[in-house]
Amino acid sequence: MLQPYFQWMNDLAVSKAIGESIWIYPLVQAIHLVFLALFAGSLLIVDLRLMGWGMREQPVAKVARDARPWMILGFLGLVATGMPQLMQNAMREYFSEFFWIKMYVLPVALIYTFTIRQRVAMADESRVAPAMSKITGLASILLWIGGVAIPSRLIGLFT
Amino acid sequence: MADLFKPLHDLFFFVSELPSSIELRESQYVWSLFEVAHVTSMCLFAGLIIMMDLRLLGIGNMQSPFSQLQKRLFPWQMLGMALSAITGSVLVFGDPMRFYANIFFWLKMLMMVIAGVNAMAFHYIAYFSVDAWDNARVPPLGAKLAGALGVALWGFVIIAGRLIPYNWFQNN
Repeated sequence: MLQPYFQWMNDLAVSKAIGESIWIYPLVQAIHLVFLALFAGSLLIVDLRLMGWGMREQPVAKVARDARPWMILGFLGLVATGMPQLMQNAMREYFSEFFWIKMYVLPVALIYTFTIRQRVAMADESRVAPAMSKITGLASILLWIGGVAIPSRLIGLFT
Repeated sequence: MADLFKPLHDLFFFVSELPSSIELRESQYVWSLFEVAHVTSMCLFAGLIIMMDLRLLGIGNMQSPFSQLQKRLFPWQMLGMALSAITGSVLVFGDPMRFYANIFFWLKMLMMVIAGVNAMAFHYIAYFSVDAWDNARVPPLGAKLAGALGVALWGFVIIAGRLIPYNWFQNN
């Protein structure tokens, strides 16, 4: 259904220009990973805390509020450096199962992060069952790392 | 120069001839599995290092005292480092000659050594007086410097690592 759109993206002059330069694409890939580290750090510091590990002496809400702007910055950086990679490889991505796994899990992870996870992290801790908190953190890691980050790496390895 | 690097070259070459090394680089799935595991470990290690460095710079995680970030994230950073080191070593073991001839690989190694020195220097100089600035909105210059260097150096390690497959400067 989306194939014509991907073909159009694939054939854009700017997509071709990215492909023709020997260093733009590799550098974009590399900077994508730096933003991944920033994103993952601000994700994990909160998820570990939700699971009762890491920053145990701080309230979850404090850790989460501090991490939020960096998580958003990391995410925007990932999108900004992800788009050129998608454009340059549009047809390869279209036919990659891992790309579609990533694209289906990504909106779920985003909505989850800004609804359920946000509410649990900001709630009065005495009113959140430890098990609920643990599951919230674990689900976040599974969605972002297992459902988005790992399939992303597999796109390039199995095509 | 060539003589200086000969023992290193011979070691890498020796490893590359081992049956287990050959098997690893010819097995597409096991190799890829370790690449995925290496990036995932990097998320844990570099991610939490950056979280600590942002606090040193005075721009992130400011509601937590630095000593708590240091103390509570340290075991996770070490776990991430151990996993990164193990998975990375397996990758080098599986294709030593490719890494031996790669400028980005050696740049990455160099940056890691400098990042390690930076961490040690911070630990023995600025961290010594942590009680005085643990809750400060503006950490002292030494702490800021260590934080800025940490982000920059680990950023370069990640970038150089990702550029290893693109060996523009290799002449066979």
